[in-house]
Amino acid sequence: MEIKDIKPEEKKEILLPAALKKIVAELGGEKEEVLAFSPTDMNENGAYTDGYLVLTAGGLYTFASESEGKRVHSFKGFLNLKDREKNLERDWKCTRIDAGELKKLTIEPQVACGVLIAEFSDGVEKTVAVFSNLYRKEVHVLQRAFDRNFGEKPEEGKEEEGKEGKRPGPGGPGGHGGPGGPGGDKDEEIYCPKCGMMYPNPDRKVCPRCMDRKSVFIRTFGYFKPYRGLMILMFMIYVAVAGLNLVWPYLNGRVLYDYILEKNNDFLLSVGIKNGDFILALLMVILTMFAARFTVQILTVIQGVFTARIVSGVVRDIKKSIFETMGKLSISFFKNRQTGGLMTRVLRDAERVTGFFIDGFPYIFIHSFTLIATLVMMFSINWKMSLCAVILLPGAFVFSFIMRPKMWTAFGHRHRAERTLNSRVNDNLTGARVVKAFGQEAREEERFRSVNVRLKDSEMSIVGVWNFIYFTFNFTYSIATTLIWILGVYLILVEKKMEFGVLVTFIGYVDQLNGPMNFASHIIRWWSDSMNAAQRMFEIIDAVPEIREDDDPVSMEKPKGEIELRNVTFGYEINRPVLKDISLKIPAGSMLGIVGRSGAGKTTLVNLISRMYDPQEGSILLDGIDIKHISFRDLRRNVAMVSQETYIFMGTIEENIAYANPKATKAEIIRAAKLASAHEFILRMPDGYNTVVGSSGRELSGGERQRISIARAILANPKILILDEATASVDTETERAIQAAINYLVKDRTTISIAHRLSTLRDADFLCVLDNGEITEKGTHKELEELHGTYYKLMELQTKALALKE
Amino acid sequence: MEDKEFDLAQMEKETEEMLKINILDEKNTEFIRTKGGFLSIKTGDTSYPRVHAVRMFPFTDPDRYISIRTTGEKSKEIGIIEDMASLSKETAALIKEQLDLRYFTPVITGIKSIKDEYGYAYFDVMTDRGECRFAIHMGGSDVVHLSETRILITDIDENRFEIPDVLKLTATERKKLDLFL
Repeated sequence: MEIKDIKPEEKKEILLPAALKKIVAELGGEKEEVLAFSPTDMNENGAYTDGYLVLTAGGLYTFASESEGKRVHSFKGFLNLKDREKNLERDWKCTRIDAGELKKLTIEPQVACGVLIAEFSDGVEKTVAVFSNLYRKEVHVLQRAFDRNFGEKPEEGKEEEGKEGKRPGPGGPGGHGGPGGPGGDKDEEIYCPKCGMMYPNPDRKVCPRCMDRKSVFIRTFGYFKPYRGLMILMFMIYVAVAGLNLVWPYLNGRVLYDYILEKNNDFLLSVGIKNGDFILALLMVILTMFAARFTVQILTVIQGVFTARIVSGVVRDIKKSIFETMGKLSISFFKNRQTGGLMTRVLRDAERVTGFFIDGFPYIFIHSFTLIATLVMMFSINWKMSLCAVILLPGAFVFSFIMRPKMWTAFGHRHRAERTLNSRVNDNLTGARVVKAFGQEAREEERFRSVNVRLKDSEMSIVGVWNFIYFTFNFTYSIATTLIWILGVYLILVEKKMEFGVLVTFIGYVDQLNGPMNFASHIIRWWSDSMNAAQRMFEIIDAVPEIREDDDPVSMEKPKGEIELRNVTFGYEINRPVLKDISLKIPAGSMLGIVGRSGAGKTTLVNLISRMYDPQEGSILLDGIDIKHISFRDLRRNVAMVSQETYIFMGTIEENIAYANPKATKAEIIRAAKLASAHEFILRMPDGYNTVVGSSGRELSGGERQRISIARAILANPKILILDEATASVDTETERAIQAAINYLVKDRTTISIAHRLSTLRDADFLCVLDNGEITEKGTHKELEELHGTYYKLMELQTKALALKE
Repeated sequence: MEDKEFDLAQMEKETEEMLKINILDEKNTEFIRTKGGFLSIKTGDTSYPRVHAVRMFPFTDPDRYISIRTTGEKSKEIGIIEDMASLSKETAALIKEQLDLRYFTPVITGIKSIKDEYGYAYFDVMTDRGECRFAIHMGGSDVVHLSETRILITDIDENRFEIPDVLKLTATERKKLDLFL
């Protein structure tokens, strides 16, 4: 178990599995330091076959398995730690490429796999390994290790601090090893300790295999805890109702027919009524019957009130906790999911979860109680008839149990249909303008219709399955009743062993059985629906944000505002870096302008500074402290961003401007609006600062929205201001006004400004040109102009374009 | 580095070239296999030591409109092959080889089991590359319907699997897939 035994202290050393080590040693690489190793799983013909890559200080070793694609290929979620270790013992075909011959290693990502290409010193390029996306991270780590150790450009030597893994481990920042091979400290984290399977999502350490639905159930039950008192009361009501329900058939059958109508004097005496006074007895029976029914009704009403109170409370609590987790999650979580799907979860699933607990769970006890009590009564009256009544029951139960997976699928179906429908509506409403502009209303209607039909169909299939179950139960019940009538009549008329009242009472009890049976048919549906929703709900609640606050964050009340990026590498996907080894220092209080073509990584860069994402390699420091260690509150308070995507919340303009600083005074709000050149247009609206804007309110133009977001940032009064194309949608004149405001604003602040229009960056202290994730030019205006590079080209182009215009 | 004089004409020429659709065929281009097994072309006066072949319509028209591009991150289009059928057998095979690796997607021929558990679905399937077991997210859009009967499945790591025709699966297999149909 070499892979697992690594200790944090040995962070530099990468332990190669023994089987591979032996082969490497045979090829003469015994003494070479292992830099990285990675499994691979394909060959050039596109067959799945095991392989390994080992990079040592001496060269690259490629291991290929002799046998081709006979085995089962397991991907993430199925991959087992034990299998992986077992897989090492086999005949490997190993080749060694001397480090001296290797000029370059590049990964070429394919659509769904990757190819590692080596360029040899003689200029020949060759494929050295093919791997599915399962191993792209690991091969990528190996490729980077190659670049670091043999690469052509050893830049700015000191990279010690920055070279940690993606996240500091639990042991703190200095803790774990470098981006080593597949082994190392991460193994235990990505495999489930119980079954050894790889977690489908390493950020959520929940193994779907080892967690069963029971725990979903128990967890959901936790939400009902605050309502314990009410639940107990409700339970008592249920028991009372069940008890009263038992009285009814007895009074209605046995007492009414056999004692009173048959004028049984012994009975009258036993209840203390004067001999022969059957009218009074009848009256009392009727009154008791009425009272029982009445009490049942009253209790039902009370129970209804309790139910409403518990349900609404629990639904509220669940919604709250889903919404809260959503708020904590990182941006990347939202990028991966459909908005419609998330909306369904917050709005619908919470209600569905409670369904079972209210309509189902308590009744389990009640109905079992009723069932047992009724059966006891029945058997004590007549065991033969009782047997008739229950003989078909087990069959019906087994049947509905068999139908359960079908129900489960049907609910999953409905959820998906619902999600698609929500997304479609959302999509359509957001894009209403485009739909109208291109006159595509009819087609949109058609598209909507098809998903709508799908939802209807899925609802129908649920009803279909359920009806089937329901029918089976009813049919069983009908057969049982018929059998009892036949047997009963036979017993009364032919054998004369029974009185009529007993039969009526008996039939009454069979009626009682109907409740639990009906319930059993429903419960499958409630259970499936509820657990299905609960499972989705916990998926969100359990999601761990990728960006987490340090356990012991540094608080930073008033930073100076010096920002430093040290060898920052980042990509939204690990094998496609958007930023490559960026190092940059922005002195406190200065303004940096970033230019570059779209897609160069400018927005990504500022997103890293405000910690929307964490860099994969390298670090970002604010006043010399890694921003990973700064408390969220202080970091976000000191960094404000005006981005190209402006968002105006539902509410008044005043509230929107004061979003980041709700305690701001009216005077401060007005000042911020003035600085952002928003004051004038706000006053042109009839309701001034009280104008309601956002999705339900007044429509604002792109420029107006942008100015409001600038005002918002001004009011936030951050130490670091990021302007990401902040003035892109305002006209030149307004831009000049805002520019003046920004000049005022940047005083005493560190500002990073991204712009296409170079005129926006006039006042930048220095600039950098970002191209393809790398800083290609860096310096003051003058320096860059003299460089005659990209910046110069852009400048010329823009002045010429302006000259054409005027 | 640029010339000191800023050349607008040069830039306009570049733009114009970008807008042009350059059709490649065996008359104007030579397709060569490199030592390392890659594709290399020579068109007009220019040689490209290694190029990529990319399908423009990988799902709907895989054999037509193949873009031949330079390698590297700033990959640019050199030209377009309009129809693979118009190429000679050898050339077509050479390009096909590149495309096959690029669009590597095992075809699912049978379904052993699909389990839906806690936000993920676990597939155990037979493919033309052997038995594969993988997991997908239930929350996202990991199962895409390319047509009424054609399905593309993307696993957690973005590995792809395809079911070209759902109707070719047996009824039992389709039932297992029911949740995604």
